[in-house]
Parts: sequence; C-alpha cells; structure tokens
Amino acid sequence: MEYILDVQNIHTFIGQYHILQGVNLRVPKGSIVALLGRNGAGKTTTLKSILGLTPPREGKVIYEGKEVQGVRSFDIAAKGIGFVPEHRAIFRDLTVEENLKIAERGKGDYLRKRDFIFDLFPDLKRLITLPGTSLSGGQQQMLAIARALVADNHLLLIDEPSEGLAPVIIEHMMKAIQLLSKDSTIILVEQNFLVASQLAEYYVIIEEGRSVKEGSMKDLANDKAAIHRYLGAA
Amino acid sequence: MTRLQFTVIWEPRNMNSFLRKNSVPLVTFAVFAVLFITAAQGMEKKDFVITLFRGLSVGSVTFLVASGFSLIFGLLDVLNLAHGTLFMIGAYIGWTVYVRPDTFVDLLTPLALILSGFALADVYPLLASRIRLGLSMKRILPWALILVSILLFSFVLPKYPISFWDIGTYGQSPVTYSFMADQGTPLAAPAAVFTEISAPLALIGLLLASIFGALGLSLFNTDSQQQIKLHWKNFVSFAVLLLLALLTFIFNESLTAALAGLSSNWLFVAAVLVAALSGAGLGALIESILIRPLYIRPIYQLMLTLGMSAIGIEVVRAIWGRPEFVMPKPEFFSGTGGVCPATNFADWWANHCSTILLLDGRVRVYNEIFIPIVGVVVLISIWMLLQRTRLGMVIRAGVQDREMVEALGINVRRVFTVVFGLGVGLAALGGILAAPSMGLSNVMGESLFLNALIALAIGGLTNYPGAALGSVLVGLIQQFIIKYGQIGIALPFTDIIFKPTPPLVPASTVLLMVIILLILPNGLLGKKE
Repeated sequence: MEYILDVQNIHTFIGQYHILQGVNLRVPKGSIVALLGRNGAGKTTTLKSILGLTPPREGKVIYEGKEVQGVRSFDIAAKGIGFVPEHRAIFRDLTVEENLKIAERGKGDYLRKRDFIFDLFPDLKRLITLPGTSLSGGQQQMLAIARALVADNHLLLIDEPSEGLAPVIIEHMMKAIQLLSKDSTIILVEQNFLVASQLAEYYVIIEEGRSVKEGSMKDLANDKAAIHRYLGAA
Repeated sequence: MTRLQFTVIWEPRNMNSFLRKNSVPLVTFAVFAVLFITAAQGMEKKDFVITLFRGLSVGSVTFLVASGFSLIFGLLDVLNLAHGTLFMIGAYIGWTVYVRPDTFVDLLTPLALILSGFALADVYPLLASRIRLGLSMKRILPWALILVSILLFSFVLPKYPISFWDIGTYGQSPVTYSFMADQGTPLAAPAAVFTEISAPLALIGLLLASIFGALGLSLFNTDSQQQIKLHWKNFVSFAVLLLLALLTFIFNESLTAALAGLSSNWLFVAAVLVAALSGAGLGALIESILIRPLYIRPIYQLMLTLGMSAIGIEVVRAIWGRPEFVMPKPEFFSGTGGVCPATNFADWWANHCSTILLLDGRVRVYNEIFIPIVGVVVLISIWMLLQRTRLGMVIRAGVQDREMVEALGINVRRVFTVVFGLGVGLAALGGILAAPSMGLSNVMGESLFLNALIALAIGGLTNYPGAALGSVLVGLIQQFIIKYGQIGIALPFTDIIFKPTPPLVPASTVLLMVIILLILPNGLLGKKE
C-alpha cells in the first residue's frame, strides 16, 4: 500500500507538557483515516504536529516520501496539506470571498477552483460578499473546508467537522467530505463515532498521547467492547 | 477592522440600546459639540479657525505615529515603546539629507557595504552545514568571526572619510548649518577625501567585516533541520547592494553636486523619501534581529523596546548634539513679502506664501494645511493597502489568527517584518514631516508618542480608522485648551473667565480618554475581545 503520510513515534511538548508520547499514524493514499479518542487525548495536537504548528521534538513525519519534521509550518502546508481546524478559524474581518482568496498559493487558484467549491457548497455563493462574522456555524464549517480546497492540496486535515452542527447540516458535510475523498486523502478527527464510522475506512485511536489501536473501520464498528473501552460510547 | 459607521439607527422604544448602537457617532458628536459651544464663549472667529487647523495638524502627525504603532501591535502583539524615538530619528535622518546632502551621499557607500554581508543571510546556513567542525571549534568560531569583524570595522570606519559636522564646535554644528540654510546662505562644507586609508582597502575591509560579522551571527542559529537549497535569488540583494556601494563610490562627487543643486522643494521630497524608507529599513532590521527571538517572551520585548528608546535618544545626542534646532521649510511653503499672507488660493499658488488668510485666521500653509493633507493621503493609502491588496488581507487575517494564516502556507514571519518596517516607516515619515514645524530635538518623540497612545486608547487599540479618529480628537482638544490658556474662556452662564494653565493640556487629553474609556471600554471603534 502506498502511504501519503507516515508519522513515526512523534513526541510533542506544549510548554512543559509532554502532550504526544509516541503517536504512530500511517495514511494510505486516497483514504479517509479517522483519529479517534477521548477529549484531550492529543488528536488535535497530532494534526498540528504534522503541520509543524506544534513541532514534534522527537520522531519522524514523512509526507510524500520526504521527512518534514522541523520544517517551518508554512513550508509544510505549501507542500499540499490543507487544514480545517477545530472551531473553523474563519477570519472575521475578511469577507467570505477574501477568506477563500487568502488560501491561494498560486495566482488564479481561487478562480480555477471557484466553480468546484460552489458546486460543493452552493450556500457560500450567495454569501460571498458578507463578512466572516455574519455566517452561521454550518456556513462557517463549509467555508473552512472550502478554504482548504482553494489550493491544490493532496492531504486534508479536518478537525471536528460535525461539532456543534445540526443533524441536517452534518449530513450535508459528510456528503461533501465523501466527495472530496475521491481526489484527496483525508485525516479526520471526529468525536461523533457515528459520523466517523460512516466516513472513514481506517481508524487510529489515541489515548493519553499515544496511538494505542489501529485498523479498518469495519472491524472497529463490530467491536463493541473496544468502542466502549476507548471511546466511552456504546 | 470595522468600517466607519456613522449611520444613526433610530429605535425610540429602547433608549439604552439606541445609545449603545450609536455610541461612536454620539461620542464624536458630543466632543465636537463641546468644542463648538465652548468656542462660542468669547472666542473670535479667526482664533477658532486657527485652532481648528492647528488641531488637525497635530492630529495628523499623531496619527502617523499612532497608525504605525497600532499596525505593529495588532499583528505582532509587540508594544513598540521605541516608536516615539524612531519618529525622532526619522526627523534627524531627513534633516541630514535636507541640510547636509554631502554627508548623506558620503554615508551611502559604507552603509551599503555594511548591509551587503547581511544580505547573504540565506547562504550562510548552507555554508555552515558544509563545514565539519569539532564541538569546541563550533563554539569558538562564531565569536572569533564576530571579533574579527569588530576589529576590521574599528580599523576601517574611523579612517573612512565622511564629510561631517562637528557638534563640539558651535560654528560647525548642526545648529549653525541649519540656521545658515534657513537664512538662504548655506555653510560650505569641505569635501571628504581618502587620506588615512587607501580607498580599495577601505571598501574591501568593510565588505569583509560585514560578511564575517553576519556569518558569525548566523552561526548562533542552530536550526540545522531547515532544508536549504542554494538559488541565484539568494544573491540578488547582495549584488544590488554591492553595485550600489560601487556606484555611489564612483559617482560620489557628481551625486553630491546634483543633490546640492536641487531646489529645496525637491530636496525636501528626497529627505521625506529617505527618512521614510530608512525608517522602514531600520524597522525591518529591528524586527528580524532583536524582536524575533523574543516573541515567546512578551515582557522582554517591552524591556527591549524601552531600552532601544533610551539608546536611540543617546545615539542621536552623540551624533547630532543636544541643542534643538530648526529645519528650514522648503521654498514652496516659505514665501513672504509682496501679497503675503495670501488671501486666496490663487495668490498663494503664485507666491508660495508661508501663510494664508482663511476666514480672517492666519493659517500657516505647511503646518496646518500641507501636513493634514499628507495625513489624509496616508490614511487613505494605508486603508487601501489593508483592504485591497493581498498583503493587507494577510495582515487583517493575521491580526486575528496567526496560526491559521501560517497553516494556509503563508510565511507570517516575513509579513511581520514587513509590517514592523511599515509601522516604523510611518513614524519616521511623521518625524520628517513634523520637523519643519516642530523643530528638531532629542525628545520631540516623547510627548507625541504619549499623544499617540492616548489617541489609540480613545479610538480602539488595533483599529485603523479608530487611530485616525482618536488622533484628530486628541489634537483638537489639546490645541483648544492651549488657545483657551491664551485668551481665557467665559464659562457658560457665569461671569468667570477661565484660563487653563499649560499643565492642563496633557491632562485634558487624559481626561477625554478616561471619559471615553468609562463609556466604551474598548475605545470608540474598538471591538470587544
């Protein structure tokens, strides 16, 4: 199997806190991998460590065959990684269109991808001139994902896309993510196991900063004991 | 950054929310109303006009300092306490170009050479990674290189001929040069020639010293994991600087003659450009060398900028001397006699009078009309930069969430350097513009910086239109209080003539700030965090 990303035993500190104490993560090209685990287990930190926003102190991050740990984070992102953070991080003082334009990596990225993005999220098209502040939670989430699509990204890191959204909107979001996975690889952090299990092919469970279990999503969905043990959900 | 909103929303049912929703226009209106009502109490029309224009002038200069400070604080979270000092340094640099163009030209060659070594900054890490050294050598090498660099500098620089003034001798001091230039009979300065050291030796010495110094400094940085590829682009700035050094060296005399032959108007334009650009360069240098290691230690930043402020003042004292002096106004704004003061704009244009009569008030054209116009031009151009360009977009986004901007693949650090340069450049621009009206002194930046801080507190700390609004309010209040101090003011409905004393001037702006912050804790246009 060809892996687009291979994270080998990374250790990350935030201040004095040893947050990640050995996370391993292999992401096959073209798949959706779900990072599962309880609150505070280190899922978000894992995403940020891949991107170099919280650079790992030990271990290796190999993206498309090259070691990227220690590389400056904007250089890592520019290699083709799109980030959809927790709480969306929409730029409030920018309009919806500017929020998309700022993600351009080459001139004309936005114009090229515009139609694709508006096909995926038709809502955004009529909001284009509004400031980022005026969007609802669901619209912000769409915009955050759309922003990661403007540049040519091969890998998308999506953090908690269903958080705080109404069920109808979650469904819409899931369809969009499924559509995206045809062209790119996705790492998904998701609290909602139902959502994660429907989207992802593989999973990695992180517990107290360590990756403790991995495999195919189908196996985990049938393993009620493991779900209860690691995720606290039935 | 909010858009200015002066539309009044009228909802008679709920007075409280009416007040809150329209607080900005209301407070602004209230301040202006107070000014106008008090002005009506025994102030003549001409005094009123003059005071209004003076207020706008002070407000504009304050705005140049405040806007730069607020840009830097908004994006970088750095409180640049040296901003007032950098304002002053801008004034002194501009003065040097304006009054002593020969000194300025002489300085270009060594400056370009000193900077050229640092322009190779991208190349050194590669060089360092190629050299295999023992551990102890690795520790010693940077210090040794820096020592060699310092020795070379201290050998070459004192011998390098630069036509300079002499702060020890009154007849050769900046004060005299400035005075004579103001009188229209500039003091002749002897040209500097290479006598103590041969020219090639001096040039090569400076180049080597610069390269050694920059290499030594770069060896302290041990981010060895960075991937570096050597590219011809890494050498462009080095080559440009080297070329600049050679050209200014070869054409030194003709360049000096050309500058000296310029009319004072064009020389002033050159002075403004050089001051603003060197302010920007100085800012970029300060950010990349001094501030950058301290982003994780905000308190150290404060102490650093405070220290820089003190050091800056002392350096200026050492170079330009302690006494205050004036900077002559360019011809365009200094006409006298004949029909001056002009009574209409056509007269003024024909004679370039220094003053113009507007509504009976005698208004100084440079101070009270030109400076506010520049203020408005800067306000609009920075606004356009922020709203219409990609850099502006990145700045606005970065003010809110640096990490996310970086996660989009944008080098935020580089934007930081640009913004710090821009902010300091604005302060330096303010300095050189204020110099002909305020005069030059070592402490000219201090009171202005305090004004700027108050203006920002009033307008909203990181809000760009807020900086403009706050600055104008502060300028107006100050000038009106000063005027009342001179003419006295009849308090409404009483016979008491109130004469504010000079100490009330700073107190009045602080009072305004206190009142506004009590009503609107985030300033007029600031946003709730």
